Amino acid sequence: MGYASTVKVPFGPQHPALKEPEHFLFEVDGDTVVGVTPRIGYVHRGIEKALELSTYGHGIYLAERICGICTIAHTCCYAQAVEELMGIDVPPRANYIRTIMSELERLHSHSLWVGLVAHEAGFDTLFMYAWRDREVILNLFQELTGGRVLHAINTLGGVRRDISPEMADKVRRALEHFEGRTKEYLRIVRTEPTFLRRTRDVGVLKPADAARLNAVGPTLRASGIKGDVRRDDPYVAYDEMPFNVITSDSCDVFGRTEVRTEEMMESIGIIRHALEHLPEGVFRVRAPRNVPAGECVSRVEAPRGEDMHYARSNGTAKPDRYKVRAPTLANIPALCKMLVGIHVADIPIILAGIDPCFSCMDRMVFVRSGGSTGRAR
Amino acid sequence: MVAYEIFQLVVFPGALFVICLAFLYEWVDRKLFARVQGRYGPLYTGPAGILQPVADFLKLLSKEDIVPRACDANLFFAVPVMYAALPLTALFIMPIAAPEALVSFEGDLIFILFSFGLMTLLIFLAGWSSMSRFSAIGSVRSALQMLSYEIPLGLVLVCPAIAARSLSVSGIVQWQAANATWGAALQPIGLAVVMVCMLAELELVPFDIPEAETEIVAGWRTEFTGRRLALFRMGRDLEIVLVSALVVSLYLGGAQQLWLVPAAAMFVIKTAAVVAVFSFARALFARFRIDQMIAGMWKYLLPIAVAQVVLVQMGLGA
Repeated sequence: MGYASTVKVPFGPQHPALKEPEHFLFEVDGDTVVGVTPRIGYVHRGIEKALELSTYGHGIYLAERICGICTIAHTCCYAQAVEELMGIDVPPRANYIRTIMSELERLHSHSLWVGLVAHEAGFDTLFMYAWRDREVILNLFQELTGGRVLHAINTLGGVRRDISPEMADKVRRALEHFEGRTKEYLRIVRTEPTFLRRTRDVGVLKPADAARLNAVGPTLRASGIKGDVRRDDPYVAYDEMPFNVITSDSCDVFGRTEVRTEEMMESIGIIRHALEHLPEGVFRVRAPRNVPAGECVSRVEAPRGEDMHYARSNGTAKPDRYKVRAPTLANIPALCKMLVGIHVADIPIILAGIDPCFSCMDRMVFVRSGGSTGRAR
Repeated sequence: MVAYEIFQLVVFPGALFVICLAFLYEWVDRKLFARVQGRYGPLYTGPAGILQPVADFLKLLSKEDIVPRACDANLFFAVPVMYAALPLTALFIMPIAAPEALVSFEGDLIFILFSFGLMTLLIFLAGWSSMSRFSAIGSVRSALQMLSYEIPLGLVLVCPAIAARSLSVSGIVQWQAANATWGAALQPIGLAVVMVCMLAELELVPFDIPEAETEIVAGWRTEFTGRRLALFRMGRDLEIVLVSALVVSLYLGGAQQLWLVPAAAMFVIKTAAVVAVFSFARALFARFRIDQMIAGMWKYLLPIAVAQVVLVQMGLGA
């Protein structure tokens, strides 16, 4: 035997292109990737166990800390699951405020991502611009909720704070500015030739593969499939919101960029509509301490895709089992598909293309073999 | 007389002046790049942060010196010194304070071209000697890049020489002075090609492929720390001075006195303008992939360069 024709190139867990620790082992033939093995689970935090050890009221603060960016999506998902188990109805005003917050979160998450993907493509100027303009949304969060990153706005039975008419005006004014900037980004990502060369036909995920590998969120929609929990299984107030589910047929990183940037425009529209039609009334009802026995699955469209929580209660003040499936985990098989047959230089931009949030997705599962399925934790 | 010559070599317009220029241009580049991106750039050290590059250099000199166990020690130690010394040497050929350079001989333009090739060779050796994956990929990319831009660069750089009937940089500057014209006015295509090739030579966006941070960490520089990294950074700054000096000398009239403004001041103004163009260019683009870069250079830049030579041979722009 001669030399092996392929070289194994490790990528991560410490690598400048990965902001979070995750490991991918690439098998490289010349400049072409022929195989990839992901190794996940570096930041297992035991958060599901912690949820099972705390009361439902405490749990929402833990759920907020699953992800640093999708904090509202996770609390929304958690609150929905627990509220359904409790059998309480959230007042309509709270649902509208949750919608507004979720969409503000989508705006800040997507503009963060546009900056990151530009950075991966070596386009630092767009990176700086996108992150500068994202500050507008973070400042809004600070005024609306008191926190820029962790907002603690959702609570069991509603939201913690109301949106006053003056605040609504502030949000509208900020959106005015942000809309102009978003249009500018849309123009840049569609016309800048060097950026197009780095994103077009890079990381191709065919619609059939996207469906088969259960991709979620913008990754799925960039492959031309209209999959969006907000439309398929409306939660909070999305059934009353007019918006388009943005898709793209280009199936590549460019499509993912375009889908996310256009989604920002849709989010702005949703927030405006929700502020306009904000129902009167209370924004919070009392939640009971104990929860009747039952189980429930709750789904939310986080900025990165479908976020799923499962809760099982046993009649006490603490959940019997709580399971979180963050969107990034659902996108890993699709990611591995995209990463085969590409240039080594395209690895970072494709990895960034799914908007990975590796630290949010790491859970640990023990499966006892031999007959009975073990208790998973 | 000897004392004056030594002063010329060591202080002005020799080594010390050129090194100060190198630090100044790093500041110009960083400041402009930051302002284009909506940032402030260097701010604290000296007025408007003008001393920041010097402070960075001194800080790096005092940092811990880490030598990878697997490296080729001799090369690893020698390359940074050579990388800083080479552009400094080549800069003696550039006319800075007068249309006549400190050192000038018929054929020194060839030497400059040769030193650009040597710089890339040193980069390759730097990456190779550090025995790291990222460095190796970076140095291979750097060599590949050189193979694609060096031929168009060499072709167009000969055009001013053909026009001036001199293979000496000083000769070309004096020819421009004598004919009261600029190379840029006669050969604008050549200037454009040189600027693109120089972006690649200096490894600036969109051609910063050998040190693409998000792909291969710091590329060929990954394993260098402390004073070796400081020398590399100074070498890079000196190379920017060398490149802008070459562009100014061949195409923008070089160091010529303009009315009351002395030649050295004109040189600084013109080279700073060239550096500014580089900073703007690197703020405007995303990074190419190595295959796209090589294909682009051979498909588009080489024919344009050949066209420039043909035009000059036909007597246009000469």
